[in-house]
Amino acid sequence: MLRKSGDAAALENQSSRRQFLKKSAATAGVAISAPTIIPSSALGLDGAVAPSERIVVGGIGIGRRGGYDLGCFLQQKDVQFVAVCDIKQKRRDAVKKQVDAHHSNDKCATYRDFRELLDRSDIDAVLIATGPNWHATAAMTAAKSGKDMYCEKPVTKNISQSLILADTMRRTSRVFQAGTQRRNLPHFAFACELARTGKLGKLKKVYAHPAGMQAMMSGWLVPETEPDAELVDWNMYLGPAAWRPFNKKLLDGFNFEKGGGLVGGGVLEWGSHCVDLCQWAVNDCPPPVEYNAPKDGELVAKYENGTELIFREKGWIPLGSCPVRFEGEDGWVEAGDSGKMVLSSPELLAGREVEEIGGYPATFHVRDFLDCVKSRRQPKGNAVAACNAHIACHAANIALHLGRQVKYDNVNHEFIDDEQANRLRSEALREPWRL
Amino acid sequence: MKSSSLRLFLLMTGLMVLPSGVLPLSAQQPKDSAVEEKRLLQVLRSDAPAAQKAITCKELAIHGSGAAVPDLAKLLPNPQLSSWSRIALEAIPGEQSDAALRQAAESLRGQLLVGVINSIGVRRDKKAVPILIARLQDGDLEVAAAAAVAMGRIADDEATLALQKALPMVSAELKSSVAEACVLAAEYRLLNGQKQKAAEVYDQVRNADVPIQRIVEATRGAILARDQEGVPLLIQTLRSKEKKLRQLALATVREFPGDRIDTALAAELNEASPERAVFIIQAMADRPQTVVLPAILSAVREGKPMVQAAAIDSLRRVGDESCLPILLTVATGDNTELKEIAKSTLAELPGEGVNQRIAMMLSSAKAGENALLLHLIAQRRVDAVPQVVQALSSADSTIRHAALVALGQTVSLDRLSLLLEAVVQPGNSADSEVASRALRAASVRMPDREACAKQLAMAMKKAAPAKRTTLLEILAEVGGDTALAEVSAAAMSADLQLQDDGSRLLGKWNSVEAAPSLMRLALSGASSKYRVRGMRGYIGVARKFPMPESQRVEMCQQAFEKASRTDEQKLVLEVLKIHPSLEGLSLAVQAQKVPAVKADATVAASMIAQKLGGKGVDVAAIIAAGGMKPVTLKIISAAYGAGNVKKDVTAVITKHAGNLPWVKLPDNSYNASFGGDPVPGKVKQLSIRYVMNGKQGEASFGENSPILLPQPK
Repeated sequence: MLRKSGDAAALENQSSRRQFLKKSAATAGVAISAPTIIPSSALGLDGAVAPSERIVVGGIGIGRRGGYDLGCFLQQKDVQFVAVCDIKQKRRDAVKKQVDAHHSNDKCATYRDFRELLDRSDIDAVLIATGPNWHATAAMTAAKSGKDMYCEKPVTKNISQSLILADTMRRTSRVFQAGTQRRNLPHFAFACELARTGKLGKLKKVYAHPAGMQAMMSGWLVPETEPDAELVDWNMYLGPAAWRPFNKKLLDGFNFEKGGGLVGGGVLEWGSHCVDLCQWAVNDCPPPVEYNAPKDGELVAKYENGTELIFREKGWIPLGSCPVRFEGEDGWVEAGDSGKMVLSSPELLAGREVEEIGGYPATFHVRDFLDCVKSRRQPKGNAVAACNAHIACHAANIALHLGRQVKYDNVNHEFIDDEQANRLRSEALREPWRL
Repeated sequence: MKSSSLRLFLLMTGLMVLPSGVLPLSAQQPKDSAVEEKRLLQVLRSDAPAAQKAITCKELAIHGSGAAVPDLAKLLPNPQLSSWSRIALEAIPGEQSDAALRQAAESLRGQLLVGVINSIGVRRDKKAVPILIARLQDGDLEVAAAAAVAMGRIADDEATLALQKALPMVSAELKSSVAEACVLAAEYRLLNGQKQKAAEVYDQVRNADVPIQRIVEATRGAILARDQEGVPLLIQTLRSKEKKLRQLALATVREFPGDRIDTALAAELNEASPERAVFIIQAMADRPQTVVLPAILSAVREGKPMVQAAAIDSLRRVGDESCLPILLTVATGDNTELKEIAKSTLAELPGEGVNQRIAMMLSSAKAGENALLLHLIAQRRVDAVPQVVQALSSADSTIRHAALVALGQTVSLDRLSLLLEAVVQPGNSADSEVASRALRAASVRMPDREACAKQLAMAMKKAAPAKRTTLLEILAEVGGDTALAEVSAAAMSADLQLQDDGSRLLGKWNSVEAAPSLMRLALSGASSKYRVRGMRGYIGVARKFPMPESQRVEMCQQAFEKASRTDEQKLVLEVLKIHPSLEGLSLAVQAQKVPAVKADATVAASMIAQKLGGKGVDVAAIIAAGGMKPVTLKIISAAYGAGNVKKDVTAVITKHAGNLPWVKLPDNSYNASFGGDPVPGKVKQLSIRYVMNGKQGEASFGENSPILLPQPK
């Protein structure tokens, strides 16, 4: 159970100088809030969205998480959602109903095969919210079709996919936003900025919460009668995953083949958020070069400059899920999904006010994506950032899986003198899929 | 059950989560790949079910060698196992795997062939190029497309030349894949320094009749391969009528090296429509090292409102002190929206000389600019106290208030008296509240808080009663020994207002050091209201702060004994529950003897016992000593395990259940007590259904927790 925030501060802080930050804190400084957008009226549009400025969006794999993301897209006035693809008929129909009601028309098209949706030249961007099994393959197929994309996480199943993703987005000149929405929340952004800009002094340790360091996989279950493909398209559901017979228990796309079958679990599921924030704190530098086997609930990795990335299960100030902590020689900061953060000294605020936004909404992240679709800037959760964070997670998982230290070479993208680890860098896709 | 059988069993029963090392690979013991490979090959050669062979392929991806290739290759034509086999074949280094895939590429058909060709591409097997060239002609479009892309990945001269030749010849359906492959091959050359050859391939693609996305990719490559000579093509692309190409140009601007493109963009800005200019400015601002700043400033001055907005906004990334005059003009101008953007940009304007310039400008500011500059001084924490002090005497309250706020953010300890004076003896009563807020903001950020607290304490002595409350509140926020002493003295003083203020602030004190003062207030406070504040504050300290558990329990003991009301005694029990310890359990058990809190103490004792589980703590004696009443207890069933794997442990639980709601197992380890670990490596639970005093109940316990059965309702 979450303790009251006052307790959280007190538990951690010996000193009353360490203050728990509140939105209401009266300061005269610069407000750190969700990203601001130049009002359209300032752009001469009087609040309206010119048809030429509308972004036409389609959705691929819109289940529970996708439904949330879809809501964030539909909140944006410049989004015209026109199509949905899902391997489940019920979901296709449900999304169409929601979208049609929103746009007051009946034009949301439905597809079972996402390639048909990608063939539509009128669609600018896609929301990819399939299970993790499909993320990288669907994203790269979309990129080659000329679509920008907001893609849920974990984005990749292994190190090789992470590298190819970054290369593909660069080559195809696509705007890619990983579903790492915390990068667009003020308190996480501020915490990362403190670390990145040296306000904490020389950075010594960054902590991430993996929430369950264990390998996950989906095996073959007892074969069941495969449903009509129009209802549930099992072949498309498997997609790039190695073949196995239909069993409805495997239709939980969220957990199916998470992390590639051999290594995944919490390190990928939560790491793709909190390791991603740690990566931001170290200025999105290449991932750590050394990963040790876990000990006493901690897996310690080291960056080239000696800074440690620590996957830690316990010992967090109760600030909500997905906590991160950054420790420098001169101070520290810890933040979590409550929207709150704790600082080693209020002076780190330098008079600034940080808006508290709890519940990790994706609205701002979606807006960042849409703005970048127009400007062609790189969004906060761009492919290179996602690539580095995911490599850190995959490499940690490989150390976890092998039960020993592994060392990673960021230039050649290989583990040093470690064939077993190197063979876990990639995994063949089921035919006909390729990256 | 043998390990291989167990593995299969788990697979077939819906294994979803594998603790690392349990299954199926070499996480803990098997490190010797040669040994593992032999075992795995036996599985492949057996009549084991396909499910087991599938997972065996995955294990061979780590442990397999050339010796495993023949057995894996046999699975390539198997629709169920082909993809599993390729997982291993793609991973196993060496010629044997390449040869097996090449052989399959000549014999398989359809989707399985596509998969094999994809694997050849991943492995970049140059020897396969002749086979792939032949497959470019395959009647199956998917096969031909896979062959093209594989050739693009291999990207040697033979493959690249063949792709270039094929591009104009192949069917319209295949053109996109061949173009994709050409772009891959060109990129390979670009990365290897063969810029001219790369540009040649890119140019061929961008001039071909291929889908727009392929032209986008090729155009990007063609620009970058030309290096500085690519600027004209980049600008030409920026002017394209094709939206996708314009978008490409905006993205490529951001990755283009050198500064020639910056000059070109500055010139382009003059020609662009307002809509295009906005995007060009945004791209220019993403090149902070080489941006042509005068062009952006010109847009701020002369652009249409939408261009002005973009230009002003971009200055927060690329501006410097030279931008201050124009930004101040806009920020104090008439356009409401541009004003707000300018103010926000001013607060973040980069550049080492910005703060100094702002301080200088305050001395000679035009009417209307003073308040804004003071606001900026506060926001940016500009060191300009002398100039700000002058503003304190302004006749305009807006300026005076802005000056006070600025002092709050910038004043140092040696000038804190400025704000103390403004609070204690305000020249204008309308400034009082603002001055108090400024003093608070200044005080809490002082590095030497003891020195700051002393100044505040001195000021209190000569302050009017109403101001003393303010100063006392600020002292409490500052914290430290001096502040604590002042607040404690106030709480125990003869002054009624100070008693109220002091006890209120002391009750919320945020450090362990307040404990003695709080207990003193709890025992000797002037009224019961203040004594309750003291006691609650004291218990709060025990609850909130890290300290040795023996010290915490001692504090709890003190509080429990001295508390005059059961409400506070119950709070003590809450503390014991939050911080479970053996000493705390003992105290909770003793508390059961106090009738008014007996029920709460029993719950607390139970919860503490639960939390102490797994730590080898023998709590039975302590509970018995607490006078726990005998019960009639019958165990209906008990199961121990994880997920779907449960072991019936009814007999063991029944044997050790007595006439207390407490089951003492023969060993603190459940596994030892129940004859082994039913699900190695997983966190397990014990579930018990029982009847206590005639009522049926059910309870679950984490592994190795003390088994204290609650009385069913």
